Amino acid sequence: MNREQLRSLFTAKSARVQTNKGEAYYNALLARCRARLDQLRRLPSFTNVNLHEVLADEGINRRDFMKWASAMTAMLMLPASFTPLVAEAAELMNRLPVIWIELQDCAGNSEAFLRSDGPKVDEIILEIISLEFHETLMAAAGHQAETQLEDAMEHFAGKYLLFVEGAIPIGPGREWCTIGASGETFEEHLKRLASKAAAIVAVGTCATFGGVPAAAPNPTGAVGVMDVVNDKPIVNIPACPANPANMVGVILHYILTGQLPELDSLLRPKFAFGYRIHDNCERRAHFDAGEFVEEWGDEGAKNNFCLYKMGCKGPMTFNNCSIIRYNESVNWPIGAGHGCIGCSEPDFWDKYAYERPMADANIKMAPGGGVEKSVDEFGLGLLTAAGIGIAIHAAASAIAGKRDEEGGR
Amino acid sequence: MAGGYVQIKRMSLFMRLNHWVVALSMVAAIVTGLYIGHPYYQTLIAEPAVEKFVMAWNRWIHFYAAIIFDVSSIVIAYLYFFSRFDRPIVKLIPNRRNIQEFFAVLINLLTLNRIKRFDSSHEDSFHVVYFTIFHLLLVWMLLTGLQLYVHGLAHGQSSIGSWWPALLHFFTDWTIWATGGTLMDVRMSHHLTMYFIIVWILFHIYYIIWRTIFWQEGDVTIVFGGYKFKRVKG
Repeated sequence: MNREQLRSLFTAKSARVQTNKGEAYYNALLARCRARLDQLRRLPSFTNVNLHEVLADEGINRRDFMKWASAMTAMLMLPASFTPLVAEAAELMNRLPVIWIELQDCAGNSEAFLRSDGPKVDEIILEIISLEFHETLMAAAGHQAETQLEDAMEHFAGKYLLFVEGAIPIGPGREWCTIGASGETFEEHLKRLASKAAAIVAVGTCATFGGVPAAAPNPTGAVGVMDVVNDKPIVNIPACPANPANMVGVILHYILTGQLPELDSLLRPKFAFGYRIHDNCERRAHFDAGEFVEEWGDEGAKNNFCLYKMGCKGPMTFNNCSIIRYNESVNWPIGAGHGCIGCSEPDFWDKYAYERPMADANIKMAPGGGVEKSVDEFGLGLLTAAGIGIAIHAAASAIAGKRDEEGGR
Repeated sequence: MAGGYVQIKRMSLFMRLNHWVVALSMVAAIVTGLYIGHPYYQTLIAEPAVEKFVMAWNRWIHFYAAIIFDVSSIVIAYLYFFSRFDRPIVKLIPNRRNIQEFFAVLINLLTLNRIKRFDSSHEDSFHVVYFTIFHLLLVWMLLTGLQLYVHGLAHGQSSIGSWWPALLHFFTDWTIWATGGTLMDVRMSHHLTMYFIIVWILFHIYYIIWRTIFWQEGDVTIVFGGYKFKRVKG
């Protein structure tokens, strides 16, 4: 066995982010992307909108567009030589039909998507991407909308990307959630749409891991898409809401390479979920220094101290918020003075989203969540019990020992 | 005392040194671990961040204590089987003799030394089982701790090469699944296990002192000088 083989044996692929894969790899990838884009260009576009006209109308010049393209290239962890291809891929977005469905959700990811940044990408998404079906955005309603969905599924069978927002109830409460005139449950609806999709993108923590609907006691038995669909490629983009930059990144990657990006063990794209919030946090120096906010609005808070003691879960959360931020990189939760609640991790509502560090929090200790005790309270209880036990034994021993001596030895 | 005492060697120099290294690491790991889990001092000091490094030093001490601990545990695990002095594994095999001895010692403890039907001059099965529980707790701390540690090495690099995080993932990723599926579960388990270890230490110290007082064979001196004393009936 040589060194490379040993390394591949011991490397958990899912957990490693490789930002430089070598020149040979990128040259080959470049050629593949080139061929893919040429092929896409020959296909008819599904909408008549031209990206550059839209951009010009919106007052965005070529220079701004290329700046966005280089930022996107960097986010996808590709070398700068890919920038022209990324720009071209954005122009060819109208070759990609998208069907977007909502299940147990709050439409927060749709909201985030509409407000996504980049080349004022909201225009790109809405006017360039061929968004065939989106319950919240479409003008059609009722039977008209249903017909539109059927048409899109038939017309683009095997070609469309299915975006799923929201959890799927599969427990005893599943019958509360139906869609359409035929009373299809969410599970049936998702399975039917997934069967003809090219790939599925689960956006938001509800669609990926069940999210808030799946929080204890999970009355509807909510789960994520990957627990329901197992015969299609799935990309998970968790977070509450999912960062639009990551959604655009996945679409761009798909257009550019014809493939889904490299995923980790939870099916999250590594370019976005490879690093912890903590590793690139602007307040990290205060963490290492031991400077913490103790109460909202105290001196520490005024001085941007670390929010760990206010329950920040950045050290346990993998996401790129601390790098790309939200709303055109204006700000992000920790920048605004609130700790991370770990919204891109499984079970975040029960296990991450509380106001204090884990050691202080009321976490459900028993399965099913009957008994609520903080870890430390439980530990102190254990210590007390042990101390009492030892004290009783010691006292009893002392008395017994005395009797022994009295017993005449 | 009628008959007097015989000196019996119970711990070699290395074993005694190892015991105190473990004890010190344990105290260091608990003190710093409690800080890491919930920083309890020095959060609002009017000094710029560059002047101090409180959390970083705590983590530094915690990780060093942990590594010393882990290595010493590996050595102890080896000695369980291959020690030239006293192999604990012999007392751990669940054969008739060991099971009898285990309950004999337990009965001695529960009857407050009224009944003592075993040879207390040598290490007994009950004590060996108790120490084994400690080492299993330590192994669990090692696995969960290294799993928490490797989260910060997402780039796959470390100062000693990329094999190290790879190795850690290979050997500890299953703890995520075993504790409940999220990184937070690993953290909770690591924190909770500390309390079990503290309880273990409490009883350990109590039990050794109890033995010393009631058996009157100087058990507490084993860990200092290596010897205890056996009463010889005259």
